[in-house]
Amino acid sequence: MTTNATSGENRHLPNRLGIKGWIWGGNYTIERYLYTLHRITGLGLLLYITLHLVMNGFRLGGAESWTDLMSFFSGPGFKFGEYLVMAAFIIHALNGGRLILQHLGYTLGKPKPPVYPYVDSLRRRRPILWIMLFIIAALAIYVLVEFVT
Amino acid sequence: MRETKLKILQYITGIALFFFVGTHLIISHLGSEEVTEWTSVADRAANSGWLVFYIILLLFGLYHGIHGLRTIILEALPRLSVKSLDFTLVIIGLAIFGYALYIPVSAF
Repeated sequence: MTTNATSGENRHLPNRLGIKGWIWGGNYTIERYLYTLHRITGLGLLLYITLHLVMNGFRLGGAESWTDLMSFFSGPGFKFGEYLVMAAFIIHALNGGRLILQHLGYTLGKPKPPVYPYVDSLRRRRPILWIMLFIIAALAIYVLVEFVT
Repeated sequence: MRETKLKILQYITGIALFFFVGTHLIISHLGSEEVTEWTSVADRAANSGWLVFYIILLLFGLYHGIHGLRTIILEALPRLSVKSLDFTLVIIGLAIFGYALYIPVSAF
């Protein structure tokens, strides 16, 4: 007999949480929130690229059209937006690199016998995560300083 | 197997984009404001090396972005027809590629 996890007396969270699962789906680890951040930064970059391509079309209007557009984008609001794009790229690129390495099994570490206290693979590869977050923070601060100065 | 190949292509374009987008951002967004001035933009537009660079960036960026969007859509709407979604995204991708390619090619 099969049981539906979403019905009956013992209600459990469904296996497929969809978009809601990006925010909360139980006892999430930091990796799960990085998964959410990866998707948010990816969608943000995709939106920016679309606008960027539309904006590039102004180049066909000649020098005057281009100069007018650049002066429109020189305000502090757009500069802040440009910094957010750079920060999103840094997060998405470095986290993507971590995901590629882990998906292909390069940073999983050697298998260990299941002796108590158990150390799961997420915790074994956590140092890589901290190094990545440190590099993201360092690069984001460096780019911020470059933008401000 | 098809999904695995698409995913591997996502990884390859992702690694390539790290260098292509990184170069583009450092030159155009972190460099001096002279880079976005009309004379500098026109100079780059007339350079065949930059033309090839931008076409590769466009191609890889579009694939990576649209495949990523496909993953999110299928995750959010699991009952959606994969074939219909693929067809729609390919049409949208080709339309954007055609429009975006026209700009640097016509300026070259």
